[in-house]
Amino acid sequence: MTRRSGARRVFNLVNLGALVLVVATAAPLYWMVVNSLKGGAELGATPPTPWPSDPTADNYVQAFAGNGFGGYVVNSLVVSVVSTVVVVSLATFAGYALARLPMRGRRPLMIALLMISVFPAIAVVTPLYLVERQLGLLNSHLGLIIPYVAFNLPLAIWIMRNYMLGVPTALEDAATVDGASPTRTVVQVVVPVVRPGILTAAIFTFTATWTEFLMALTFNSQNDYRTIPVGISLFGSSFEVPHGTIFAAAVSATAPIAILVLVFRRSVVSGLASGAVKG
Amino acid sequence: MRARLGWLYTAPALAVVLAVTIFPILFSVVLSFTRVRVTYGGFRVEELTLDNYVALFQSSEWHYAVLFTFFYTVVTVAIELVLGVLAALVLERLGAARGWLLALLLIPWSMITVISAQLWGFIYNSTYGVATWLLEALFGTAPIILGTPVPAITGMMVADIWKTTPFVTIIVLAGLVMLSREVYESAEIDGANAWTTFWRVTLPQLKSTLAVAVLFRILQAFGVFDLPFVLTTGGPGTATQSLAILGYKTLFQDLHIGPGAAIATSTGVLVIGGCLLFLKAFRAQVGKEDLA
Repeated sequence: MTRRSGARRVFNLVNLGALVLVVATAAPLYWMVVNSLKGGAELGATPPTPWPSDPTADNYVQAFAGNGFGGYVVNSLVVSVVSTVVVVSLATFAGYALARLPMRGRRPLMIALLMISVFPAIAVVTPLYLVERQLGLLNSHLGLIIPYVAFNLPLAIWIMRNYMLGVPTALEDAATVDGASPTRTVVQVVVPVVRPGILTAAIFTFTATWTEFLMALTFNSQNDYRTIPVGISLFGSSFEVPHGTIFAAAVSATAPIAILVLVFRRSVVSGLASGAVKG
Repeated sequence: MRARLGWLYTAPALAVVLAVTIFPILFSVVLSFTRVRVTYGGFRVEELTLDNYVALFQSSEWHYAVLFTFFYTVVTVAIELVLGVLAALVLERLGAARGWLLALLLIPWSMITVISAQLWGFIYNSTYGVATWLLEALFGTAPIILGTPVPAITGMMVADIWKTTPFVTIIVLAGLVMLSREVYESAEIDGANAWTTFWRVTLPQLKSTLAVAVLFRILQAFGVFDLPFVLTTGGPGTATQSLAILGYKTLFQDLHIGPGAAIATSTGVLVIGGCLLFLKAFRAQVGKEDLA
């Protein structure tokens, strides 16, 4: 008898916990979406209205037409997609080498990479700024792609290596016996097998570059090259903070990354679970 | 032959990483020991000096930033750890709904921090923010949240906890799922109750998983920049001025390159020091690599 009521109590506690978790997580998101659909007067209403009395798409029109948000989206896409492709290509080879080939000094190298991947960006942003200014890379896509590649490679290499350690070597051995060159073996035999690992590394790189702020703020401050985080952070710099426009832009920038992460959530969760992770 | 190939495959990645991270870090350390004059065309190193560090150690702004950053890191990570473990325990016992809840948790985690900062700034707004309204409804009066030091710091922490607890939850959940069932069965046979089982069986087995989650959160929280930059710009006054914000202001607003580099270097040293201490204390394993 006592066991059963104990089990029921735990069951209820679990459901209660889940409910609290859903509300706490979803409420701010709900507030963002709802307020993106409110008109100017209603946004500033006290007490706040729980949902828009007269839903409008004006904020979205204003964000894209009036505030150049579309341009920021293009910049973010260019920088994130190119960085991701380069990172994943380099990390696949490096991860393969670190998982499969005999290398002296592998352990200190892996640890150094991990340290770099979590090093606070503020510590490198000045010298990088000075170097980029000298090379004329400020306010260009390349000026962000290069540091993004460098800062996301360590984690991607960790993910690829950990993934490859879990893959049997039989296929590669067979290819080598058949006389395929090592590089050809990697490209034609290893890559197809480790596709899930590549996907995980790609999602982490894309998310990190899509959300990066400090370097984007300091290196690309000209309107033509601003990425979404920089653009949105500056929306509020005028006298009146245009909350409606900010929320419309915020929803538009959150939706694609949220969909990407939700569709591939197995890869995200396994990437986080593999241990080689930053948030 | 195969050893050479290993380095050949790793070389392009290493070259980029070295050029863009190690070199600037060293450059930054050097700059921190110099007096730099910024000119229109560029900058000129004038002399080697310890002045930047002397000034740094005497600066009350730096003292406060170090204290605030430490305090902020310890408190948020501790709360995220407790809430993250609780949430993971809930998720583990949840049936079909687990996938949906996990999906929901991934949204704040993947959001642009600047966006969540704008969102929380709106929630905390002193005239029409929903948090202000709620506090007034509950207590009859509400502070000007972002204009008063303690509420501003608390508000910043709430925003951080909302966004990053899911990260801890997912890592801990992955650890929970991999625990062996047998230990639980023998604990049950021994008559251990839920509380004892959690402290004696679950937690010890989760140690290395928790270490990884905590390590990454500490490193990230210590470099916190986006959130205070947008939410409070370090204010009111300097109440939420983290080391990264202080460094940014010194470098890019005041253009004090030497002192800014000293702040950046001090941040790096504190992070690496803390990281090594943590790894030693917990003998942490990250992935399949033994780090201690």
